Amino acid sequence: MAPPRVTRRVGSRELSLSNLDKVLWPKDGFTKGDLIDYYERVAQYALPHLKGRPLTLQRYPNGIGGETFFEKQIPRGIPDWVERVTVPTPSGLRSQITFVLCNDLPTLVLLANLAAIVLHVWTSRAPALEEPDFVIFDLDPGEKCTLRTLAEVTLGVRDLLGEVGLKPLVKTTGGYGVHVVLPLRSGYSYDTAKVFAEIVARQAAQRLGESVTLQRTVAKRPQAAVYLDYVQVGLGKTIVAPYSVRARDGAPVSTPLHWSEVEALARRRAPTAPADEFAKMNIRTAPKRFEREGDLWGGALWKKQRLEGALAKAQRLWSEPG
Amino acid sequence: MAHAIWSGAINFGLVTIPVKLFTAVKSDDLSFNLLHAKDEGRIKYERICSVDGKPVPWDEIVKGYEFEKGEYVVLTDEDFKAVNPEATQSVDIVEFVELDKINPMFFDKPYYLEPTKQGRHAYALLREALATTNRVAIARVVIRTKEYLAAVKPSEDALVLELMHWANEIVEAGTLELPGREKLPEQEMKMARMLIDTMSVDEFEPEKFKNNYYDQVMTMIEARAAGKELPKPKKAPARAKVVNLMDVLAQSLEESKKRRGAEKSASTRRRKTTAA
Repeated sequence: MAPPRVTRRVGSRELSLSNLDKVLWPKDGFTKGDLIDYYERVAQYALPHLKGRPLTLQRYPNGIGGETFFEKQIPRGIPDWVERVTVPTPSGLRSQITFVLCNDLPTLVLLANLAAIVLHVWTSRAPALEEPDFVIFDLDPGEKCTLRTLAEVTLGVRDLLGEVGLKPLVKTTGGYGVHVVLPLRSGYSYDTAKVFAEIVARQAAQRLGESVTLQRTVAKRPQAAVYLDYVQVGLGKTIVAPYSVRARDGAPVSTPLHWSEVEALARRRAPTAPADEFAKMNIRTAPKRFEREGDLWGGALWKKQRLEGALAKAQRLWSEPG
Repeated sequence: MAHAIWSGAINFGLVTIPVKLFTAVKSDDLSFNLLHAKDEGRIKYERICSVDGKPVPWDEIVKGYEFEKGEYVVLTDEDFKAVNPEATQSVDIVEFVELDKINPMFFDKPYYLEPTKQGRHAYALLREALATTNRVAIARVVIRTKEYLAAVKPSEDALVLELMHWANEIVEAGTLELPGREKLPEQEMKMARMLIDTMSVDEFEPEKFKNNYYDQVMTMIEARAAGKELPKPKKAPARAKVVNLMDVLAQSLEESKKRRGAEKSASTRRRKTTAA
């Protein structure tokens, strides 16, 4: 049994960490110590994607079976050196919210120590919070949707974007689905990104037929289809950050993929459920993969793209009468 | 019977039997067209080139093998023939085996073989010899440019060519969690065998089994079609929505451009990062 409180030097900070033996994943036996070790080990890949993004913490103080809460306002007791950004909220309960910015390793470890298992980030970065730096397509498979269909739809969305000259990136959500993300040049508004996402989604629904649904009401979605969610674009909306851990059995991790891996999944004959496949990347197994593959969303791979040219192509290709 | 889908020859030893191939099973899968729920417009699929973004006609499509990411070797019909010069139209019998020795999972799709005039005698000989020895012939078959594994089996007056799966196409059951063959209680086994006995028949009569789903759906479709004029697909302004959105996007891009211009003159970044 580890002592309830230990002091550990992380980067340039002395951190006081508590209850490292506390089991957060009762079925798997993974502890808070495991969570901290994971985030510390993958920090070099995760931090560039967290930097400057207002963070919503999803905390599980008593493990994934226990009570959970979303925390936007920076938790009390967070030391002063942790970076933060204050955003006015005209419609909320408070007039403003101060968000944590996870800009460095000690902050990441500190958040893990708060049992903030899942890290939800904005799609823009401080100080340019009104300019999204990527467009997100959230592909959420229905209950009877196979891995193969999900992979085919993911490729369909990639190919559509490719038709208009755009190169997206892809990751698992760590849950059942997939995120397709298109990095943007700076200066676009959320309104622009929203309309663009809707154009692509409608075109995808038209092109891919029955394997895609845009129906927002869960009960009305065909169960074998993929729900293509293009409405996660907007000021204050969040997505699960790449490399974030999920609060599910097995402690799966949101994992950036090579497009060739999605192509391989699209050739699968066995009707695997997406979650079963994606759960293979978890806090135990994923670090080795990340060390081998490097950050598949990082550096030059995160290619910031313009929408003007894409719109011109889309107007030519997608608007002639069917 | 419809026309032959293929004609070639069965070869074994020095004997050649010219034959034609006919479909032996047709599937009564219901086939539906996909429609847009809103206006019943047909859903179209297009083959789009990822380079120029334009639809591609079949005669401009070739097969490419991706040997490295993004690097293709293009192969034509001639190329496929060249690698397999024997790949003419033939059923080459390799060996014979008792039917029971083949796991039925290997059988994929049956076709009828019909002899041409000069092949009738040899055809009858092969069929009777197979029937009396309870054997089937295992053959390599080439249809167009593809090679298949197949069995030639007697079925009443016909020889049936049954395409088979290659061994590597069969998925191992080893990954499943299956109970072992440990000893089961005699009493329970007796019960199970009794149950089987009482439900046993002497002959398998497939005619007894009706595809109820097919019949019911067809009845429903016929009733609907009779009850009302088949709805004419409305000429769809299918892409109107997307087109409008594109105008909105164009305007939005224009506005962000203007705003960026303004921002350069007066720094208007409203939100600030503050280390509290």
